[in-house]
Amino acid sequence: MENRNKTFVEDIERTLYDIRNEDRSAYKSQAGLTEDVVRDISARKHDPEWMLERRLESLKVYNSLSLPAWGPDISELNMDEIVTYVQPDAKMAGRWEDVPEDIKSTFDRLGIPEAEKVSLAGVGAQYDSEVVYHSIQESLIQQGVVYTDMETALREYEALVREHFMRLVPPKDHKFAALHGAVWSGGSFVYVPEGVHVEIPLQSYFRLNAAGAGQFEHTLIILEKNSSLHFIEGCSAPKYNVTNLHAGCVELFVGEGARLRYSTIENWSRNMMNLNTKRALVEKDGIIEWVSGSFGSHVSMLYPCSILHGENARCEFTGVTFASKGQNLDTGASVIHAAPYTSANISTRTISKAGGRATYRSAVKVTPNAHHAKCSVNCESLMLDDISRSDTLPVMDIQGDEADIGHEATIGRISEEAVFYLMSRGISEEEARAMIVRGFVEPIAKELPLEYAVEMNNLINIELEGTMG
Amino acid sequence: MSRKLLEIKDLHAGVADRQDKGEILRGLNLEINAGEIHVILGPNGSGKSTLMNVIMGHPKYEVTGGSIAFEGESLQELKTFERTRRGIFLSFQNPEEIPGITVENMLRASRQAVTGKPVKIMKFRKELKAAMEELQIDPEYAGRYMNVGFSGGEKKRNEILQLLLLNPKLALLDETDSGLDVDAVQIVSGGVRRFHNEDNACLIITHNTRILEQLSVDRVHVLMDGQIVEEGGPELIEKIDREGFGFLKQD
Amino acid sequence: MAEKIYSEIPMRTWRWLGVNEARVEESVLAPDMAAVQSLFVPAGESRELTVVYRQEGEGRLDVKVAEGGSLKLTVVQLLPDDRQYAGQVEVELAKGASLEAVAVEVGAAKAVSKMQVFLKGDESRADVHVLYFGHEARKLDMNYVLVQEGRQTEANLNVYGALSGQADKIFRGTLDFRRGSKGSKGYEKEQVIVLSGKVRNRSVPLMLSGEDAVEGHHAVSIGKMDENKLFYLMSRGLDMAEARRLVVEAAFNPVLDRIGDEELYRELDDYIKERLADE
Repeated sequence: MENRNKTFVEDIERTLYDIRNEDRSAYKSQAGLTEDVVRDISARKHDPEWMLERRLESLKVYNSLSLPAWGPDISELNMDEIVTYVQPDAKMAGRWEDVPEDIKSTFDRLGIPEAEKVSLAGVGAQYDSEVVYHSIQESLIQQGVVYTDMETALREYEALVREHFMRLVPPKDHKFAALHGAVWSGGSFVYVPEGVHVEIPLQSYFRLNAAGAGQFEHTLIILEKNSSLHFIEGCSAPKYNVTNLHAGCVELFVGEGARLRYSTIENWSRNMMNLNTKRALVEKDGIIEWVSGSFGSHVSMLYPCSILHGENARCEFTGVTFASKGQNLDTGASVIHAAPYTSANISTRTISKAGGRATYRSAVKVTPNAHHAKCSVNCESLMLDDISRSDTLPVMDIQGDEADIGHEATIGRISEEAVFYLMSRGISEEEARAMIVRGFVEPIAKELPLEYAVEMNNLINIELEGTMG
Repeated sequence: MSRKLLEIKDLHAGVADRQDKGEILRGLNLEINAGEIHVILGPNGSGKSTLMNVIMGHPKYEVTGGSIAFEGESLQELKTFERTRRGIFLSFQNPEEIPGITVENMLRASRQAVTGKPVKIMKFRKELKAAMEELQIDPEYAGRYMNVGFSGGEKKRNEILQLLLLNPKLALLDETDSGLDVDAVQIVSGGVRRFHNEDNACLIITHNTRILEQLSVDRVHVLMDGQIVEEGGPELIEKIDREGFGFLKQD
Repeated sequence: MAEKIYSEIPMRTWRWLGVNEARVEESVLAPDMAAVQSLFVPAGESRELTVVYRQEGEGRLDVKVAEGGSLKLTVVQLLPDDRQYAGQVEVELAKGASLEAVAVEVGAAKAVSKMQVFLKGDESRADVHVLYFGHEARKLDMNYVLVQEGRQTEANLNVYGALSGQADKIFRGTLDFRRGSKGSKGYEKEQVIVLSGKVRNRSVPLMLSGEDAVEGHHAVSIGKMDENKLFYLMSRGLDMAEARRLVVEAAFNPVLDRIGDEELYRELDDYIKERLADE
């Protein structure tokens, strides 16, 4: 393993994420959700007719569904106050120089243009409801790889989008999927042709600047046979004292023998309701790898779902969730084994502190035809004090007799014996505890791109500061 | 007469959060000078491991009387890591598993903490590699998580590895040889021999005298019911090996 | 026939999984068909209680164990294959009290059962051993909840099951560490052997915690029989059916061996053997 000394990481300014720009949007829809609002968004985005119809259909579904009867309390979310569409005063640009200064400096601070130079093959940057920047390396274009914003994709690859859009996450799925279907805007579209391996990651970054707004980006990724891609998603927002809403949707189509890695570090501010839906359909011999870090938001409900649809399809899920003061982070994963010889590994770590509440929720389903399905789940929870909560709520629903399913979970606090052991090696108590927490999330950290691993450590350090010793 | 390292006077200690204080050490006296090797023998439950943990400042135990001084300084108010930084090292009877922290990273953090100086990576790696070779530890273990999935013998060798790299003034070895086969005991005792010199000292708890065969033991103490009941030179080891502790029971 | 929600999962989850609540036909819950029992174990004393349910209806058992008392409780459900059963057991443990419970669910067409153990007192302890056997089209719906409130409590939930035919089973097992249950330990394990391709098995091991100074662990394993084990037995001259029977019996023995009543033990042993022979 490459040696990165994570023992002493400098602190970063928490305020980095909190710097908000003046809201000088070009257009904002009126708050609330009505047919007029939906029609207005659709017209402004020059949707094709079928998309308007789908939006209106989704709105109907939205109005017919009630809030989920499980999970965190989200009753404080008042849709009448959420502005669903905020168009930034910027055209989509292919060069950072063409992005308005205040928006560009936001992404500068987040390190996006820098990362683009060093370690990415393409970048998308969304600001409020629209994508303001998109780029992709020329060599990938020549191989037929498409990486663009959803609006452009809707124009230029209409048939492809029409076929796949909200096929994996139908609006009927749940209330916020329906909401997404009605007011979605922005997001990224990726298409990787057969046999093409995108060696360097692509990254989309979603920034919500406007107060009291919602972000509803749609990410659609299609990997053809035997192709591969690493896609990174980042999100953040400055803190406001009104509720913001994020109800994005991610649909991933992993073709035969293809391999997709989808990494996320989510660091929304703590006024955010993060009700995101992510789903992957994996064909024969395909692999989906999720790497998911949840640190921010006020409330999160996030359970990436993998449908293992072809023989030998595989899912690897690694996730870490850190719930601190004022946070209720309900995260996990679900896997549906729908074909023979499919396999899945789920490994998660959750930490709760300072009154934070972390829940691991999962579902593993094996359908009767999925003989020789194999799934192993391991989730570990660490509690840093006695005012926090940590709950583990997995469900296994297994049909057939040829499945091999194992699930294991533990809960506890930092072992005082381990602290003593480290102290007996000269390490201070505070550092010993921090080391143990970092060690606890290490299996996840090592799956992250380096900058994200460093960012995660920084976030953990900020969280641990002043609470120990 | 050489320099005094450890001085324990009339030490009383027990389990901290028990109401009856369950006193385990009851008036124990011990002195160790630089350059010496001391051995503590005693039946199970006599307080040997408690003594080691109390010297190291384990929060589970509470000192209820007496004193422990290291190089003339009282340890009473010092936290575990401060004791380590002053030069005391404990080789654990059951070393903890610490998932997520590799042997190398742990040792480097530890070395940095003990010396107070930044550690030069390449130089440190060389040193680590050499020490691992000497203890016949597979170099691949440097990248593995601390003691996770290690066999009993590997954990013990990992303790001696830390002893060599941290180079303390006083090494406390709590049954470092237990559960090891003959060859492993040789390796461990070789490590201790390499560590030991005129400026440092060892305090060894063992049930098995094989580890002592190649070490020149200066002093042997027999611990029973929380007190030293018999002291002597290396000849005492042989006697106890032959006769057990029976001859010491005086009630 | 109208159904009633008889028991609920302590924390709800997705509806499509169908595990949030257990329903029972109202007719089964008719008051004149209920067998209600209660027991108080005085401080420092020990008791043994064995209850066997054989008739359609509801079984209810309420137990309190006072300080330092201990109870060995055996609850066996052995209804005929065409009958329905609903049952609940509630146990409250005071300081230093202990419970050793053996619950066997092998009969009925549909059985819905619930057991709640409240470890209220410091240093109370509960060891709950569950055996279930799903056979033909039997429906089994179980909801076991161990609530740890006192300090230094210990709860163990060991569950062994086998499913054959078209059996449909839900087992919910919850360890609930309440805030203040410092120093408590909880352990839950469910092992399921699946004997037929037509069964449906749902396992829901919950672990809830509002206290950091605890150690909790749960594990579930679901699978068919260990082929190496079968091969070994067959290499010793057993045929496939005999080998399978032996493996299931071996899995059940940790629970069956705890049944003190010789006659009941034999009855259960025969019951299971007989049905495994039909396989």
